[in-house]
Amino acid sequence: MADVVEVTIVTVRDIFQDEAGRKSRFSDEYKNLSALIILDKQDLIRLKAKDGQRLLVKNDVGSIVVAARTSEDDAHPGIAFMYNSPWSNQLVSDNVCESSIPGFKSIKATLSAAETNITQITEIQARMQS
Amino acid sequence: MATCTGCSLLCEDIEAALENGALSHVKNLCRKGHGHFQAAFTERTVPMIDGQQVDLDRAIAKAAEILRNARSPLLYGWSNSTLEAQAAGIKLAEKLGATIDDTSSFCQGILMERILSGKIPTCTLDDVRNYADTSIFWGSDPSSSHPRHLSRFSYYPRGEKRQKSYEEERTCIAVDVRKSATAKLCSNYYFRVAPGGDGEFLEAILAVLDGKIPRVGDKKKMIEFGSILKKTEWGAIFPGLGMIYSLQDKMELFERLLAKLNEITTFKVIPMVGHYNMRGFNELMREKTGFINRVSFKGGARAHGPEHSVVAAARTCDAALVIGSDPLSALPFGTARALARLPLIAIDPRRSMTTDAAKVVIPSALSGLEAGGTAARMDGVRIKFEPIIDTQLLSDEQIITRIMEAI
Repeated sequence: MADVVEVTIVTVRDIFQDEAGRKSRFSDEYKNLSALIILDKQDLIRLKAKDGQRLLVKNDVGSIVVAARTSEDDAHPGIAFMYNSPWSNQLVSDNVCESSIPGFKSIKATLSAAETNITQITEIQARMQS
Repeated sequence: MATCTGCSLLCEDIEAALENGALSHVKNLCRKGHGHFQAAFTERTVPMIDGQQVDLDRAIAKAAEILRNARSPLLYGWSNSTLEAQAAGIKLAEKLGATIDDTSSFCQGILMERILSGKIPTCTLDDVRNYADTSIFWGSDPSSSHPRHLSRFSYYPRGEKRQKSYEEERTCIAVDVRKSATAKLCSNYYFRVAPGGDGEFLEAILAVLDGKIPRVGDKKKMIEFGSILKKTEWGAIFPGLGMIYSLQDKMELFERLLAKLNEITTFKVIPMVGHYNMRGFNELMREKTGFINRVSFKGGARAHGPEHSVVAAARTCDAALVIGSDPLSALPFGTARALARLPLIAIDPRRSMTTDAAKVVIPSALSGLEAGGTAARMDGVRIKFEPIIDTQLLSDEQIITRIMEAI
């Protein structure tokens, strides 16, 4: 059992999250559908975490606290999914390769149990101004 | 009948009834389109300077002052504006000697450049509906991103040569890193790739098409994939960001696949463009500058390159105008923070993280609902639309023209 698990996060789209974001970027509905990470069952077991538990997702770029969600897909240990949002973008480096496209779908990060609440969009806004 | 500008399918068959200036009934909207239309009635912007509400003329004058005083302004967004507004924007960039870029810069740009220059064969969505017997969703998930793609064009409709449609004549394939909603629909024809593994996957298909045993992946599945491709009479591939971000600098592999497939049968490509008029901006820019995005007009020149992409320019420009886009939500944190620290002008119908951080906010009419114009669908077909709601709000084109006049 590990206290910290390394994953590669791939950002993806979701129609329900997209719809919520179109209605309001500042709603609880959008936050609840964005501030989450979809994990393979084995990764949740390694973290000793349960569905819905708060996790700290961290890398050299930044950190966020999001809710864990159990993947319904076939096994994909070490690969996590997040819906593209200001939360996932806290972890995306703007060091780019020749094509100048940031690594939105290849985010290396560590996961561990979180001691703080889910990151609010107002916190993300404050970080931008800091 | 209204046109939905919620995505680049630009569905023109939206029935919308209005009561007391609000939507009372809509028909044919997908979930995404419904969210887009509902957005017209929540969190609308008002003219602001430094967080204080002002009248529109003052906001426009302040925007003009910021741009006039800037040495290296960036004009960014454009993919959610009409062709008319985009043309005005390019003129403004020329006048200011500014850098201009759009969302394609970190989206479908590297594929769109190859489509518009003819390196990769393309077609219209109407061709797909009429002729396609195989549709491949590669790194794309239209059930989430373009919900009516399958029902209007690529799987369910009965086309001119495909009267038996999905029941007998159409095959739908998904290539993705996850079993997306679309991949579930494709059922037996879902091919999983590892993150960043699209290049290897392409090489494996090329090997199979050459009659060789693929060196990577599930050999049986790859041979099955190759067989479907070879048996296809008229195929279409719809690449999404999953493929683009994975391939990036290896896009020539995709070109090779298309060349190979078209030696055997017919295969076309339509990029799964997200924003409703990203392609329009790319077409206009190419026509006017020879480049689809990332252009600087500084010193009267036309320089193009990655240093003029929004990701790079956010750190080098000294003011930015953002229109119809929310880069503070959509871009990496470092880029978003760099933009947030600039004198920022945001033109948007709705509140966003970008309008919240902007020094000047100029409210605009929502295209398709409150403003008319023309846009290029994801396949390049030009769609003209009229507003269905009366508004006093200015269109993007009118706002850009007013700023240009003030400068």
